Amino acid sequence: GAVELVAARVPVLADHPLVRGPRFRKLKIGAGHRLDVKASGVFVLGIGHGNKLLTDLYNCHLTKVYTVGGLFGKASDDFSDTGNLVEKTTFDHITREKLERILAVIQGTNQKALLMYSNIDMKTQEAYELAVKGLIRPMGKSPPIITAIRCLQFALPEFQLEIHCLHETQQYLRKMVHEIGLELKSSAVCTQVRRIRDGVFTVDDALPRTQWNLQSIQEAIRNCQLKVETELEKTLA
Amino acid sequence: AGAVTLRGPAEAEEAAPVFQYAGKAARRKDRVFVWGFTYSGALGIPSFVKPDAGWKKPRRIQPTPYRLETEEKISSAACGYGFTLLASNTRDITKVWGMGLNKDSQLGFQRSRRDQTKGYEYVLEPSPIPLPLEKPQQTRVLQVSCGRAHSLVLTDSEGVFTMGNNSYGQCGRKVVEDEIYSGSHVIHQLKEFDSRVVQVVCGQDHSLFRTKKGTVYACGWGADGQTGLGHYNITSVPTKLHGDIAGVNIIQVSSYGDCCLAVSDEGDVFGWGNSEYLQLASVTETTQVNVPRHLPFKIGKVKEAACGGTGNVVLTEEGNVFVWGYGILGKGPNLIETAVPEMIPPSLFGWSDFSPDTRVAHVRCGLSQFAALTNRGELFVWGKNLRGCLGTGRMEDQYFPWRVTVPGEVVDVACGVDHMVSMVRSF
Repeated sequence: GAVELVAARVPVLADHPLVRGPRFRKLKIGAGHRLDVKASGVFVLGIGHGNKLLTDLYNCHLTKVYTVGGLFGKASDDFSDTGNLVEKTTFDHITREKLERILAVIQGTNQKALLMYSNIDMKTQEAYELAVKGLIRPMGKSPPIITAIRCLQFALPEFQLEIHCLHETQQYLRKMVHEIGLELKSSAVCTQVRRIRDGVFTVDDALPRTQWNLQSIQEAIRNCQLKVETELEKTLA
Repeated sequence: AGAVTLRGPAEAEEAAPVFQYAGKAARRKDRVFVWGFTYSGALGIPSFVKPDAGWKKPRRIQPTPYRLETEEKISSAACGYGFTLLASNTRDITKVWGMGLNKDSQLGFQRSRRDQTKGYEYVLEPSPIPLPLEKPQQTRVLQVSCGRAHSLVLTDSEGVFTMGNNSYGQCGRKVVEDEIYSGSHVIHQLKEFDSRVVQVVCGQDHSLFRTKKGTVYACGWGADGQTGLGHYNITSVPTKLHGDIAGVNIIQVSSYGDCCLAVSDEGDVFGWGNSEYLQLASVTETTQVNVPRHLPFKIGKVKEAACGGTGNVVLTEEGNVFVWGYGILGKGPNLIETAVPEMIPPSLFGWSDFSPDTRVAHVRCGLSQFAALTNRGELFVWGKNLRGCLGTGRMEDQYFPWRVTVPGEVVDVACGVDHMVSMVRSF
């Protein structure tokens, strides 16, 4: 009789995860700008080749935006509301107007620092052109500089500020809240530090805890790719 | 046991004492800050010139604002060429203080303690100037102004008092040949104007008076036409100006060198005097203009003008700042001279998308520097940094507006040749 060949399909085990092993074994993950334990908000991570982009983004020296919440009437040793109490003061003499005056002064002195640490010779026409456009920024190491600060909410004893800064640490922002309290002849502690923007990445691009899975991460990377590329080209060109 | 220790810190917090540093009725204090060249005594701090402690060294230049303690609240200040006048609008007997150069008695007669017949040539701290007032406990001093070697004091009901050098008639009295001005007691009073004088301005060697009716009077040196009276001679009696300002209601005059500017209530700018530095080149090619001429600038309604030695600045109703003339004008090192006003971008004065309400409120001029005050109480300076007069802390010239760090809200500033005085309200 005739010999018939019957094709039978069997699953290939070579692709099975138990045979192959986990798909990603060694993932190089790098962290962007630091965010300490008591703070929250946007935290940029780079995966694999993205770490090179992280260094480039760091060299762009873009500003970060924080919402900082404060509370008048207390002073603590680590400038936050969880620290040991140092002093309690009255705060009923503080008005929104006084706070905004102090904020204007802070912005003014930091504006000066911005121009001074940018290492551009003030006597050149180029320095004048950049100053007009507001593009003078320190492109190297510098102490923390606040480029813009404004009061979002004011309801004694609480208040909330929006701070745009460069080269800062979250503890510096808490110290700033403490110093604002001192300047207003009272005292203040910081209740909340939340980063809402880190360079080109905003809260909308950030993934919450529930979306920490491969699909969302890949999608997020794809969405931000264009933004990152344009920013890098613009600044490092 | 665990529950007790957890409650511990919170209870301790509740029981902690509350300190009060400022009550609801805490008032903002008025302060005076000075900076610039110290050796003339114009800053009013004697320890900079003659140190009062062994370890202190004389300080030739004060590069950043330094607080000057005054007994009264100072409402008006003026910087001359090496001297300063401070005035308070109090009803007390002492209303005006002066410090700095006194070689021409521009600060009145300051009796020397060593020799009762002679006066001090340099006054190192704010010393009262005795004015011969008829009603010293009722009259108030409204404004002071200083020129190269003379000063003017404006009162509300007793006219204008002038003192200092009168070799060109700038004090409004007849020139006495070979008069010795050093250690002179003469303080002249000027009352004959068509209406009450509301502003006095000193140029280098001439004086301008603006009355309530909007007319301008002038006296003094006129070789550059700065008296605006149609001739180039000296005038020793305040005389009314005509020309393009005849019949116009002038609301502000300004001068510091040999050029003068006036602003009318309709926002027009008039100028006369020296035009060697293109200050009036938009209307004429002559270098001296002795009759007020209307300057046809199309920059909008002008609110305030300030005249310097070689450059001028105006502020429009919209809050824009325009500069023209010669020198460091504030638009970088490339703009050295222009006959037509050029605008300084508002972003240099703190305007940004973040704070769009920031605008310049006042402009002032020294001999080769400019100052601008914003509505947020910030002070911006630019120009030649002669002996640290800009107050930036650096010795270099400043080619575009730069913030001066002053601990308070700057209310007014007076610019001199090599020093500046500002009136500040604390936070």
